[in-house]
Amino acid sequence: MQVVAPSAVNAVASTIAILVLLVEFGMLRAGLLRSQVRLYAVQSLIASLLAAFLGVVHQEFELFILAGLSIALKTVVVPLVVLRLVRQSGTAVTVSGSLKPAGAALIALCVAAFSFFAVGRSGLKVDGLSPTVLGSAVAIIAVAFVLMVVRSDVVSQAVGFFSLENGVSVASLVVAAGMPLILEVAFLFDLLVAVVVFGVLMRVHHDQHDTLSTARLTDLRG
Amino acid sequence: MQFAPFVVQAFQVGTVVIFAPGVSGFIAKVEARLQGRRGPRVLQPYYDLAKLFGKESLAPHGASAGFLIAPIVAFACYLTVPLLIPVLTTYGLPLGTMGDILGGSLILALAAFAVAVAAADTGAPYTQMGSSRTTTFSALTEPVMLFVIFTVGFLTGTDLPYKMASTVTSSASQVLRPAHLLATAALFMVILVETSRIPVEGHSSTNEFGMIEHARTLEHSGPYAALLAWGSAMKQMILYILLINLFVAPWGLATSGRPLPILIAVVTLVLKCCAVGCLVTVIDNSFSKLRLFKITEFVAAAFLVSVLAVLTIYLGGG
Amino acid sequence: MRLLLLVTIGGLVGLACLVVPPRAARVITVGAGLASLGLSVALIPGAVGQPLRLGFLRADALSVVFVLAAGFVYACAAVYATGYISTSAPAGYQRRFLFGLNIFGWALICAPLVDGLALLWVAIEVTTVVSALMVAVDRTKPAAEAAWKYLLIASAGLGIGLFATIIIYHAGTSVYGLSYDLTLSQMITAGPPLDPHATRLAFVLAVLGYGTKVGLAPVHTWLPDAHTEAPTPISAMLSGALLAVSFYAVLRYVQITQPSVGGTFVHIILIIFGLLSLLIAAFSLITQQDLKRLLAYSSIEHMGILCLGVGFGAPVAVAGVLLHVLVHAAAKGNAFFCAGIVMHKYGSKDIATIRGGLDKLPWTAPLLVVSMLALCAFPPFGMFRSEFMIVAGGLSRGPVPVVIVTVVLITIAFVGLIRVATTTMFVPARPGTPAAALDRAEPSRSMIIPILAGTAVLIVLGLHPPALLMNLLTQAVHEFAGGVG
Repeated sequence: MQVVAPSAVNAVASTIAILVLLVEFGMLRAGLLRSQVRLYAVQSLIASLLAAFLGVVHQEFELFILAGLSIALKTVVVPLVVLRLVRQSGTAVTVSGSLKPAGAALIALCVAAFSFFAVGRSGLKVDGLSPTVLGSAVAIIAVAFVLMVVRSDVVSQAVGFFSLENGVSVASLVVAAGMPLILEVAFLFDLLVAVVVFGVLMRVHHDQHDTLSTARLTDLRG
Repeated sequence: MQFAPFVVQAFQVGTVVIFAPGVSGFIAKVEARLQGRRGPRVLQPYYDLAKLFGKESLAPHGASAGFLIAPIVAFACYLTVPLLIPVLTTYGLPLGTMGDILGGSLILALAAFAVAVAAADTGAPYTQMGSSRTTTFSALTEPVMLFVIFTVGFLTGTDLPYKMASTVTSSASQVLRPAHLLATAALFMVILVETSRIPVEGHSSTNEFGMIEHARTLEHSGPYAALLAWGSAMKQMILYILLINLFVAPWGLATSGRPLPILIAVVTLVLKCCAVGCLVTVIDNSFSKLRLFKITEFVAAAFLVSVLAVLTIYLGGG
Repeated sequence: MRLLLLVTIGGLVGLACLVVPPRAARVITVGAGLASLGLSVALIPGAVGQPLRLGFLRADALSVVFVLAAGFVYACAAVYATGYISTSAPAGYQRRFLFGLNIFGWALICAPLVDGLALLWVAIEVTTVVSALMVAVDRTKPAAEAAWKYLLIASAGLGIGLFATIIIYHAGTSVYGLSYDLTLSQMITAGPPLDPHATRLAFVLAVLGYGTKVGLAPVHTWLPDAHTEAPTPISAMLSGALLAVSFYAVLRYVQITQPSVGGTFVHIILIIFGLLSLLIAAFSLITQQDLKRLLAYSSIEHMGILCLGVGFGAPVAVAGVLLHVLVHAAAKGNAFFCAGIVMHKYGSKDIATIRGGLDKLPWTAPLLVVSMLALCAFPPFGMFRSEFMIVAGGLSRGPVPVVIVTVVLITIAFVGLIRVATTTMFVPARPGTPAAALDRAEPSRSMIIPILAGTAVLIVLGLHPPALLMNLLTQAVHEFAGGVG
C-alpha cells in the first residue's frame, strides 16, 4: 500500500497498460465476432501508444518505429484479414462459448489477480516502471488464455492468440526495452506470417466443416 | 471576519439543501437542449417542491407509520451526510469526524432502506416492484462501492474523507495513478446506477415497467412526495460531490473560514456539479437503456474495474 | 561457406518447386534433401573444435547433432515423397506438397544453426506455421481439425516461449547492459551473474512453451492428432525432426540457465515433465487402434525419455540423449514410412483391419517389425545403446526410483508397440476380409529405399558408431556441461 505515488511517467504507463488489460476483458464480454476483432484493433493501438509514450520518455527513436510498424500491422492489416474471413463465411456473426460472459469474466478476474500476485512474488526487478505494468502484461497473457479456452469458434480463438502476442509485446516494453529493433521487427513479421497461416487454416476449417464453430471438433480422440 | 467552523458546517448542509434541486433542474434543461427541445426552466424543481408542499397527502389503506416516517428519515440522512464529506473546505470541521467514509455510505444506505421499506409497505404492485429491483441492484453495487472505498483508502492511507481529499490533491502523479483513475471510473458507473440515469433507467420516462428507483415513490403524495423528491436530488448532489471532491477535481475549496473563499467554494461546487451533470446528460443521450437483465452485466463491469483498481494498488504498487 | 549453402538450399529449392513441373520438382526435392544431409555430415569435422561462426549463424557440436537429425529425416522424407505423392494428383497439389516439404526441411535445418535466442524463436515459429499448413494439405475434415488444434496449441505455447525469451533477455541485462544482441555465445558465456529470479522464471516458461512443441505432457494434446492426420512424409519429419529441434531449444535454455539457477532445480523440472510424458504415453500406447496414432504416442514417450536423460544430469546420460536424438530420427522415420506403405496398401489406418502383413508386403513387413523393435530399444539397434546410456547415467547420479519407474514405463510402451507389430504383421488375414484379398506386391520401390537406409543407420549406430560421431557427441556433452565451446 503506497501512499507515495509513483512518478507521473510511471502512472501514465501503468494506466495505459491497465487500459490494454481492460480491452482484453472487453473482448471476453464481446458478443459479436466483429466487435471482438475491432476490440483487438483498439488493443493493438493502445499497446503501440505505450511504445510511443516510452519512446518519448526514454528519448529512443527506435520505439517510435516499432510503434508505427505495430500500428500498421496489428491495427490495420490483421483485423482486415480476419474481418474479411468473417464476411466471407456468411452467416457466422456471434461468438460461441462454453461459459456465459459473466462467468468467464469472473474466472478471468481471478486469473488476473493471480497474475498480479505472481509478478509481485516473482522477485523480478523492474527498474524504471512500476510492477503494475508487468503485472498487467502477465494478466493480459493469462486472460488471453482464458479467452482461448472458453471460446469455441475459430475467430475468437485466433483473436485470443493475437491478443496474447499483444500481452507479450507489452511485457517486452517493460522488461526488455533495450532489445535491438531488428529483433522486435522480426517478432512482428513473424506474427504477420502466423496471422496469414491462421487465416488460411480458418478458411480450410470453414470449407471443411461449413461453420466457424469448433464445438464439433471431437472426431479425433484417445 | 471568519465564520466559526460550525457555521461553515451549517453552510455545507445548506449548500446541498438549497442547490440540489437547482442542479437537477439544470440537468433537465441541458438534456432537453441536447434533444432539440426548449425544456423546462432551470428553477422548475423549486416550483414543483413548493406546489407539492401545498397539496394534501394521502396514504394507502393498511400502510403503517413507516410509510409516513420514511421520507423524513431519508431527508434526515441526506442532511447528515454533507457533514461528513468535504463539501466546501479543505480542512476538517467539527462533526466531520463523526463518521468515516464507510459511515457515510452506511447513512446513504439507511436512507435507501427506509424508502424501500415504505414502498414495500404500500402493497401496490409497481412500488413493490421498484423496491425489490432497487434493493437487488443496490446489493450488486455495494461491493463496487466497497472496493472503490478500499482503493481510496489504500491510495491515501486513511478512511477519513477530509484527509483523503488532501492526499489526492497533493500532486499530479496522484491523480494519474491507474488505481485512482480506475476507482473514478467505477464510482462514476455506480453513480449512474444510484441516480438512476441511462444506461440503467430512463430518468424522465413514465413507463412503470422500466422504472427502478422512481417506482418506489409512486404512492407518496403532498409534502412527503416533496421530501422524497428533494431527498433524491440531494442524494444526486452528494454523490456528485463525492466524485468531484474526492476523485476528480478537488480544487476551489476554501482553505479558511473567511466569507469570500466560502462564497467562491459554493459557486465552484455548484458549477462543478453542473459540469458532471452535463457529462451524465451526454451519456444519457448517447446510449440506450439496458434491458433489465443486462444491468447486472453493467454492474459486473463496474465491479471488474473496481477490483482491478484494488489489484493494481495492492499487488502492483500503482 | 558450407553453412551458408546449408541454410539456403532447402529454401531455394522449395521456392523453385512452385514453378517447375512436378516431375522436375520431385527430382530437385530429392537433390535438396540429399545435399542437405551431405552438407550436415560435412559439418561434423569442423564442429568438433571451436564452433563455426558466420554472421548470425553458429554451428557448435550440439547444433550439428540436431542438424544431422533434421538433415537425415529431410533426405529420407524427400526420397519417400517421390513415391508417396501419386503422379496422378493435380499439379497444384504436388507443387504445394513439395514446396511445403522443402520449406519445412529448410526451417528445420536453419533452427539449430541460428545464433541467437530470438532468432531461434523465429525459426521454430516458422516451422510451426509451415508444418501446420502441411498437416492440412490433404484438405480432409480430420486433417483440418488436427491442423487447427495443432496451430492453436503450438502457437500459444510459442507465445509463452516468446515471453521466456523476453525474460531471459531481462536476465541478461544485468550482465550485458540494457541493449545487446541476444546471441547464444553471449548467453552461454554469461554464467552465474545472470539474475537468478528472472532466469528461473525464464527456464520454467521455456520448458512449458517450447515443451508444447516438443510434445511434453501436459501440453502434448495436439501431437497425436497432428501426427496422425498429416501425410506420411510430413508425419515423419514432424516426429523425427521437429520434436528434436524444439527439444534443442529447451536444451539451449538448460545450458544457459543451469550455471545461475543451479542443476537441482533444472533437473527436477525436467524429470517431472519427462516422467509425466512417459507415463501418459506408455499407458496410451496399450490401447491404441490407429497405426499412426500409436507411433505419435511413441514419439511422446521418446521425448519424455529425452527429458529424463537431461534431467538425470550425468554426462553419459546427456551423451545418450544426443545419440537418442539421432537414432530416434532414423527409427521413427522408418516406422512412419513403413506405416505409410501399410496404410496405402490396406487402405486404412485401423489396426483391427490390418492383418497378414508378412504375406502381402514382402519388404515392408519385415522392415516394419524391425523398426518397431528398434523403437522398443532392442539390440543391436542404436536405440538400445542410447537408452542404455541414459539409464546408466540415471543410476549413477540421478534419483534411482525415477530410473526404475522409467524402465517400467518403457517396458509398458514396449508391450503396446509389439502387440501391434505382431498382430498386424504376423497374424494371417482371415479369409473373407478385405485384407485377405490383397495381392502380394509393394506399392512403390522408392518408398522402400529410405527405410533401408534408416535401418542401416540404426544398425551402424547400435553396433559400432563411427569415431567421428562419437567425438562430436563427446564435444557436445562437454559444451553442454559448461566447458568453453
